[in-house]
Amino acid sequence: MVIRVALALALFALVPVPEAPSAWPASAPPASAADSLVAPPILPNRSREPRTVEVTLTATASTVELVPGVRSDAFVYNGRVPGPTLEVREGDRLIIHVRNELPEETTVHWHGLHLPWQADGSPFYPIAPGEQADFDFVLPEGSAGTYWYHPHPHHRTAFQVAKGLYGALIVRAAHDPLPAMTEKLLILSDNRFLPDGSIQIPDAGSLEARIDFENGREGDVLFVNGQVMPTVHIRSGEVQRWRIVNASAARVYRLAIPGHELLHVGSDGGLFGQALPVDEIVVSASERVEVLVRGTGDPGTRVALQTLPYDRYIPQTRPPDWDEPRDLVTLEYTGDPAVRPVEIPKVIRPIEPLDSDEVTVTRVMSLTQGFINGRTMDMGRVDEVATLGTTEIWQIENLVGMDHPFHLHGFSFQVIDRNGVPEPFPKWEDTVNVPKHETVRFIVKFEDYPGKWMYHCHILDHENFGMMGVLEVRKP
Amino acid sequence: MRGSKGSAVAAPLWAIAAMAAVVGTVTAFGVGPDPRAPGSEATPEAARQEQILRGRQLVLEHGCGGCHGGWDNPGAEGFLAGVTSPAQEFLIGPCAWEPGAEPCFRTRPRNLTPHPTTGMGRFSERQIFNSLRYGLRPGETADVEITSSTPGEGNFPMFPKYLAPPMPWAAWRHMPDEDLWAIAAYLKDGLKPVDNLVEDSEGPPDFWVSNYTEEAYGTYPLPPFPTANEQEPPASANREQVLRGRHLVVQHGCGDCHGGLTNPAAPAFLAGVTAPVQVFPVGPCLVDPEAPCFMMRPRNLTPHSTTGIGRWTDRQLFNALRHGLRPAGYPDRVITADNHPDNPDLLAPGMVWVEKRHMSDDDLWAIIAYLRHGLKPVENEVEESDRPAEGWGGTYVDLGVGTYPAVPFPTANEVGG
Repeated sequence: MVIRVALALALFALVPVPEAPSAWPASAPPASAADSLVAPPILPNRSREPRTVEVTLTATASTVELVPGVRSDAFVYNGRVPGPTLEVREGDRLIIHVRNELPEETTVHWHGLHLPWQADGSPFYPIAPGEQADFDFVLPEGSAGTYWYHPHPHHRTAFQVAKGLYGALIVRAAHDPLPAMTEKLLILSDNRFLPDGSIQIPDAGSLEARIDFENGREGDVLFVNGQVMPTVHIRSGEVQRWRIVNASAARVYRLAIPGHELLHVGSDGGLFGQALPVDEIVVSASERVEVLVRGTGDPGTRVALQTLPYDRYIPQTRPPDWDEPRDLVTLEYTGDPAVRPVEIPKVIRPIEPLDSDEVTVTRVMSLTQGFINGRTMDMGRVDEVATLGTTEIWQIENLVGMDHPFHLHGFSFQVIDRNGVPEPFPKWEDTVNVPKHETVRFIVKFEDYPGKWMYHCHILDHENFGMMGVLEVRKP
Repeated sequence: MRGSKGSAVAAPLWAIAAMAAVVGTVTAFGVGPDPRAPGSEATPEAARQEQILRGRQLVLEHGCGGCHGGWDNPGAEGFLAGVTSPAQEFLIGPCAWEPGAEPCFRTRPRNLTPHPTTGMGRFSERQIFNSLRYGLRPGETADVEITSSTPGEGNFPMFPKYLAPPMPWAAWRHMPDEDLWAIAAYLKDGLKPVDNLVEDSEGPPDFWVSNYTEEAYGTYPLPPFPTANEQEPPASANREQVLRGRHLVVQHGCGDCHGGLTNPAAPAFLAGVTAPVQVFPVGPCLVDPEAPCFMMRPRNLTPHSTTGIGRWTDRQLFNALRHGLRPAGYPDRVITADNHPDNPDLLAPGMVWVEKRHMSDDDLWAIIAYLRHGLKPVENEVEESDRPAEGWGGTYVDLGVGTYPAVPFPTANEVGG
């Protein structure tokens, strides 16, 4: 029996509608009330060198309180779930010491970063229990964005992430094109528990385990930064910048705030060229988005950030409650009078489209249930060979009736079209959700780093199974 | 559905198909060319073409188009292109006969044309082979050679995911390797791709594992001959022919309707209706509850002299399979274009003779030899199927099941030649 955390919070409580303010304050001070949403602490920098960040990340097995009131045996980075946030600036040298104090092998994959393949934390470089691995690389200019880190040992990623190993990694720009405003980090995850608080992972071979394999394991408890239904305060008129990480093993979040139009301003690889007004944003497993939340509600009211139903499932294993919206965060308006919204620049971060005239190769990746091009992962096999410095189009065809988020290590790409419909503007991504029976094409340039890179479905159970391949980028 | 024998799987669905499409007065006769005639000195291209033609022949004999579109007419629009309307979906489970009953799953026959994203285009011939031999869904099974049917061994998946009923792979798997490869070759290289996306079939989360038991569907390969239902043929019979007929009977799933599914060791194998679940309706009632219904009662195919096929001659049985003529209605004579009845008294549409007529003479005679000599007689009187007062002949108007012999290759849906 899985604990179902009651989330029947009294949202949308009736409150008197305040009168419209007679005059706007000149600026937009942050909301005055304290949020219950707590961001994970920033990893302290041990380096005294300029433009160098040196941190230590230790993975251990520990007993922690994941759901209020019960303690769970978990895996933790630096003692907590989610792990501490790694915050750096583009151009920084990043030195990370990863200590593995787990009872099993692990790796740490710096999801989305462009870096030497030996530093990618892929299954090729496992860290044995009791061992330490030292990563040392430089973050390229222009890489500002929201990333995350998580384990990537072959066949064990889903387990270790379910046990609690994940954290955010923020690369800040030297000159952020967005005006200063309140910023929130929201790491979305889900999990499920037994009544004694232990993380519920079904027995291998059981029907539940097989359903988990099909869908990717979903939990009935939804967390934001490890908290259940925390509150964020906002002032009427205020604009907040939310960096959202989908750290769930499989769950797709279709995010919306009822009555609020969101400004979608960034994706996996940082800010867009321009803000995109949307009513909802679909964030598949491992994707990140940056959103400007505009306080268009009245003082004293509250709404919820919700995840709306999203049918990513095959019919055989679609969960019975898949079509119910779930609340994630309470957004509470302070009683302060409204402020004038900050101006969002029309052009945020111009992104040059990769040159399709340079494309030398088009690769087709056929996704079926657990397989890419009919194969499962073989660590001793190279599935694709590309030449350093070349530009390619990858055509990702999903042949089956459920969505698969496709992730490429090491190189960000630009989606060209989805089912033949061109993308409205270029943006940087490292994961793209390929909906059931659809085809997505992206363009990618293999710059800087030769080596062996993984590409895989980021439903962690599928990745575990071997829905993954190896791309070797070779020098010409 | 799981655990209940057959339900919709057992057979009725063919009949739905057959009724919906019953076709025209059959006017074409004669024996078609044996497509398996080997070309011993064929070039690779010619050998491939021969393989494709053999695949086409098998696709017609096995009535793939009955569910996947276009019936037995390779020239029909949407031939093998999968369902295009909810009316072509199958209800699997108790809801098939009791509206609203649970569980209820919809099976949607897929697009078999080689379209790269909506059909078989991105699947290899080996994946198609594996789906026919082992019942494994090609989208969920690796492109590898499988050498075992034990989960976890010989590349057989630890947790197999089977094709949704009523896909009769449990029968098809008994076809020889070369036949399955030929079907795969035809689907990949003998058909033009059609872009028709068919939504996934539904099913239980175990992907029918608990349904496809060895107890129900028998073993692969077949149990040794004879089982308790079978007997050594008399010296006067051709044993080799009887054994070939046995394989054909299983490959063509005769037992799916006539009893015992694909398991010659199953009780009452081919003995006709022995349980109410084997009786199934055809007719307009399937789409309109107020419309008339005709109950199909698959007959006793064992050689019992008064309740089985012992009542009929080999020629009468041949005429039933080739021309759809009810044995009771027609004497033992060779049917030609000259003496074929104008308004024939035809088998009830549950019987898919419009597919089986495409089989070679040799194959039909082999089936008859097996029924006559390889099975023990079982006394089981099966009531006649319902039929309209005027018989079925008048209703076999051409709705698209194609002609016999089939239209020449290639049609507009096909490539090659």
